[in-house]
Amino acid sequence: MASVIARSIIMKQHSGAHRLSFATSIKIKSCYSSYAASPKEKSPENYTRYHEVSSENWKFVERLRPHLLVPSYPTDRNYASDWIPPSDTPPNLPYFVKRTKNFMVPVYLNFEEVRNARKITIIRHIEGDIWALEQAIKSHLENVTKKPVVSRVHEVAMHIKFRGDYVNEVKKWLMNAGF
Amino acid sequence: MLTATRPPLPIISSRKLAFPPKFKIPRQVWVSNMDTVEEEKLGLIDLHPEVFAERPRLDIIHENVRWQQLYRHVSYAHTKMSYEVRGGGRKPRPQKGSGRSRHGSIRSPIWVGGGVVHGPRSPKSYFYMLGFNARLNGLRSTLSAKLAQDDLQIVESLDIPTDDPKYLEALVEERGWGPSVLFVDDHDIMPLNITAASDAYGHYNLMPVYGLNVFSMLKHTTLVMTLSAVERLEERILFHLNRNDAAEATAKYKLSSV
Repeated sequence: MASVIARSIIMKQHSGAHRLSFATSIKIKSCYSSYAASPKEKSPENYTRYHEVSSENWKFVERLRPHLLVPSYPTDRNYASDWIPPSDTPPNLPYFVKRTKNFMVPVYLNFEEVRNARKITIIRHIEGDIWALEQAIKSHLENVTKKPVVSRVHEVAMHIKFRGDYVNEVKKWLMNAGF
Repeated sequence: MLTATRPPLPIISSRKLAFPPKFKIPRQVWVSNMDTVEEEKLGLIDLHPEVFAERPRLDIIHENVRWQQLYRHVSYAHTKMSYEVRGGGRKPRPQKGSGRSRHGSIRSPIWVGGGVVHGPRSPKSYFYMLGFNARLNGLRSTLSAKLAQDDLQIVESLDIPTDDPKYLEALVEERGWGPSVLFVDDHDIMPLNITAASDAYGHYNLMPVYGLNVFSMLKHTTLVMTLSAVERLEERILFHLNRNDAAEATAKYKLSSV
């Protein structure tokens, strides 16, 4: 842009000349990447005016902005989905299964081997007596499915894995227990 | 002996926890002073259980220590391949006629003094980024272990009355704070006296809270944190545990990211 302006100025000055002598004419020196060489800010009157339309309408902007932290769930209504909020008092059990930060029950379906349809149900965020929880859920699943259920307890990582897709049954059990 | 004039105790009696824990009880710790060699308890504060009372995961702590040692390691071991070893351009003897085995070069890998086939090639970087949650949980596990093992001390601030190194040594010995101490403050410009005093010793180190890491916490016996450092640390860790855009933070680390 600056070079175009420079060339047009030179053309005006040397209208009869056939050759452009750019180097010896006007030197445009604006280097915006350097603080020292860039033009300094002027007072506000030199710039476009702005005026505040409404400060009450800012709430329409605010509600479109993403939440920084996970907002809490509304407690004043029934939910159409299977989800129920965690209970306010801790269940009187020797174990506890904490919800995720999005208030979901931490039960997931894993496929742990490649090119294999084996499904693993994993329960995470367990605190307390993990063996008692495993026994309780295992007996519940065996009652429901009338089949033996294979499980694995990982005491260090505090998770339980069941072989098979029992995600919905486990979620329902945990939600009914109040976790 | 220097005595500090203070208003009636306890000065710090309560602390509001951000993201109050639903069913876990906060852990309580004493807040001490640094004004006198003898310990004076200024108050009792709560620490958030999700930061300071997590079940310590030794495997995650190990992963963090391994990562901290390895990510900046560069191996300069180097061996020459056949084409790099001096000589070996000429065929040693004709293909046929001598009765001996056939060879193309005296520096082939089967020859003594020849090149190494799959040897180390320098420089080799061992850089990798440990996952975000592994690093976060490493901090939580180590802090919890420190508190559980009575190696975490909270002080009001790091202001000491003199810059004499002997004062600091006497203070640490009197309180039984262990051979090595890591002092952690919120601000990275520390008070002059403690900077001068700890400069005399390699085992008393100062660190801003943004530099807190698993390796340093394990290297030093005692971790001494100021109140403001605890506030800042808890605020950051709890933010990461409750943030809405975790996908952004836990995304794969890209070297080209700004």
